[in-house]
Amino acid sequence: MKNLFLFIFILFFSFSISFSESSDKCFECHQSLGDKQSELFVKDIHFQKGISCADCHGGNSQSEDIDEAMNKKSGYIGIPKGDAISKTCAKCHSGTKMSSKYKSALPINQLEKLETSVHGKIATSGKEHIAQCVTCHNSHGIVSVKNPASPVHPLKVVKTCTKCHADASFMKTYNPSLAIDQLEKYRTSLHGKKNIKGDVKAAECVSCHGSHEIQNAKDIRSSVYPTNLPQTCAKCHSDKDYMKEYKIPTDQYSEFSKSIHGVTLLKKKDFGAPACNDCHGNHGATPPGISSISKVCGSCHALNAELFSASPHKKAFDEKEFPECETCHGNHGVVDATDQLLGINQGSVCIKCHQENKFPKGYATAKIFRSIIDSLEKVSKEAILYVEEAEQKGMEISEAKFKLREAHQSRMEARTMIHSFNNEKFLEVTKKGFDVSEFIRLEAANAVEEFYYRRWGLGVSSLIITIVAFSLFVYIRRIERK
Amino acid sequence: MKKYFKNIYSWIDERVELEEVVKFMGKKYVPVHSHTIWYYFGGVSLFLFIIQVFTGILLLLYYKAGEELAFESIQFIMSKVQFGWLIRSIHSWAANLFILALFIHMFSVYFEKSYRKPREITWLTGMLMLFIAFAFGFSGYLLPWNELAFFATKVGTDIAGVVPFIGDSIMIFLRGGEDVTGATLTRFFGFHVAILPGIFTLILAIHLLLVQRQGMSEPMGYENTKIAERKTMPFFPNFILRDLLLWLIVLNVLAILAVFFPWELGRKADAFASAPAGIQPEWYFLFMFQTLKYIPPQILFIDGEVFGIMMFAVAGGVWMMVPFWDRKSSRGEANRLVNYIGLFAILYIIVFTIIGWLV
Repeated sequence: MKNLFLFIFILFFSFSISFSESSDKCFECHQSLGDKQSELFVKDIHFQKGISCADCHGGNSQSEDIDEAMNKKSGYIGIPKGDAISKTCAKCHSGTKMSSKYKSALPINQLEKLETSVHGKIATSGKEHIAQCVTCHNSHGIVSVKNPASPVHPLKVVKTCTKCHADASFMKTYNPSLAIDQLEKYRTSLHGKKNIKGDVKAAECVSCHGSHEIQNAKDIRSSVYPTNLPQTCAKCHSDKDYMKEYKIPTDQYSEFSKSIHGVTLLKKKDFGAPACNDCHGNHGATPPGISSISKVCGSCHALNAELFSASPHKKAFDEKEFPECETCHGNHGVVDATDQLLGINQGSVCIKCHQENKFPKGYATAKIFRSIIDSLEKVSKEAILYVEEAEQKGMEISEAKFKLREAHQSRMEARTMIHSFNNEKFLEVTKKGFDVSEFIRLEAANAVEEFYYRRWGLGVSSLIITIVAFSLFVYIRRIERK
Repeated sequence: MKKYFKNIYSWIDERVELEEVVKFMGKKYVPVHSHTIWYYFGGVSLFLFIIQVFTGILLLLYYKAGEELAFESIQFIMSKVQFGWLIRSIHSWAANLFILALFIHMFSVYFEKSYRKPREITWLTGMLMLFIAFAFGFSGYLLPWNELAFFATKVGTDIAGVVPFIGDSIMIFLRGGEDVTGATLTRFFGFHVAILPGIFTLILAIHLLLVQRQGMSEPMGYENTKIAERKTMPFFPNFILRDLLLWLIVLNVLAILAVFFPWELGRKADAFASAPAGIQPEWYFLFMFQTLKYIPPQILFIDGEVFGIMMFAVAGGVWMMVPFWDRKSSRGEANRLVNYIGLFAILYIIVFTIIGWLV
């Protein structure tokens, strides 16, 4: 029995020794001093995973002797500075240690991504990269991104980003042209409003811009680069399950990619065409309301919007609460505005409202507009054919050819003028088109006529010269015979 | 009718003694032999020159020299001016046929050895007119201020700049500055319509006067033919009428070329645009241009291009001086070396022109 007690005592003693030897003397000492770092570190995920102070700061965490514990010979580095900070993090976060020792599923390429991102550029000090891991994640007290206490948690990250991005003097040293009011705008957006109410699914900075790999918006690799942006928005907006609770459609991207805007931007890579943010805004993203659609479309299609606003349709649309441009042209799936949209035939948008029996005046106007547009198209095509024929015959008709642009321009103007829904104005513009087409047709027809005239002229002249030459030949023969 | 003409003739005759000129021409005889055909090419060249003067004056009524005006004015001539297209096309075609006629005339005179004593000055003035005709072609080519002409002038004046010692000065003089600009166009216009025609007309007058004074050259060994076997025809009216017949044929050819192959205008010159592919000088410079392309960059201690230009200058000089080194022909003896040199020159020009055209 005595022996048993002795065995238990020895076992307990050796366990307590081994426990005291493996404990973090740095942490114990700093905690006893009551410093802030150790206070924060208690909540830190790294502390919970058994990572000691010395794992980042170096030194001997087993020694109680301060000189020995914080001796450079023991590998003590103190507080890492500049790029050494991120490298210290990357000791674990970029190797296999993460999965093997800590059983973590976190990616291990964050530093690599950070260094190639816009934040990985050299800071104005010239000594380090702009952002280190701690810039966003803090140093002591780091918690999982899913933890609301984390500075990169969806509800906190906007504030974390604006620490720098809303600081005018700081941002001036890097990108003076970049706005610093993103947060203010964001709070006015639907995303921002939901975020502040605690909706972690609502888009915040990282949702659109990315995190470690973030690039300048003008960089083709950026997720918000014009040709990449629609897909970035579609990550959430095309996900039926994700969007279920918001009760909005999820076909915007598929509609947009088939639309004239989508094809021009995504296939032809023409940045003149809008991406989602050009109509909805970006940081202040909000869907245009019924009364603001013509203003949104009008930011590019200025003349059309202006004419529409002054037209009789404006009042009628407002009364019936029709979304202006969208009523005839659609929104995300807006198609190329061909002449088919006009008139009273199948495919026309006018007869949606202006049926012959209900609104005969509008019906008649639509019919006239369409027939004039068709005639203008016809005379323009004829003019082109005449010019081609004259050119093929090698005639000089550069003026008429140049005027073809004017004819094309007149057609464009006429199609724009339709939005005034005003007969007089429309006829005035189309007259210009008819006149110029007629001028071209006449010039080209004259050139073709001139071509045949030259052939005939040559034939007659050649004949006269040949007769004179032959007479001369006969005369010479006659005088030489003498 | 006949009476009126006679009266006019008598009126002029009383004042300028026309009768003597007619008598002189009537007494003048042109030898008739198997090579008589070559005599007509001098007349054809003269006719084409007259056409150039005539059409050139008509073009002057509408042409405006200037970077912003030249191209547009030719466009106007070709599309708006009545028969402007015809005049411009004839001017361009006649310019090329003129050079061709001059080449034929020169080689025929060369192979006939017609340059021999006492016609050395006639040969020299003829050669000078050929060089001036080249200058006419080179300066006139730029006047429409189109893309091809602009870059061809750039290349052409660059080549002139390679000439040792004075090249740079020549280039700057021709261009009116460091580059081909509107200043080049205005001075080329000046050369083309004032300076060159003035000099050419003077030399042409001397050339024609000498031909009239000395008469047509007889072929080698013609003096050994018995007088009874020597055939001749009166210069007036027979030869003149035959000349006229050929002129009418040439006029017909010119009209056909102008109608069926109107001279293109191309695109307006743009100094900032890159040179289009296939920049070439006019066909009569092509054999020299092509030769310069084949010459290696360095020959002994001399730059290849400089060497080429010097070679052409020496060859041109030797060719021009043929009446002075071909003593045998002047003595009435056959000189095969001269024939071989002439044949080589013809073959060289033809072969290199074709290569230049095809490459």
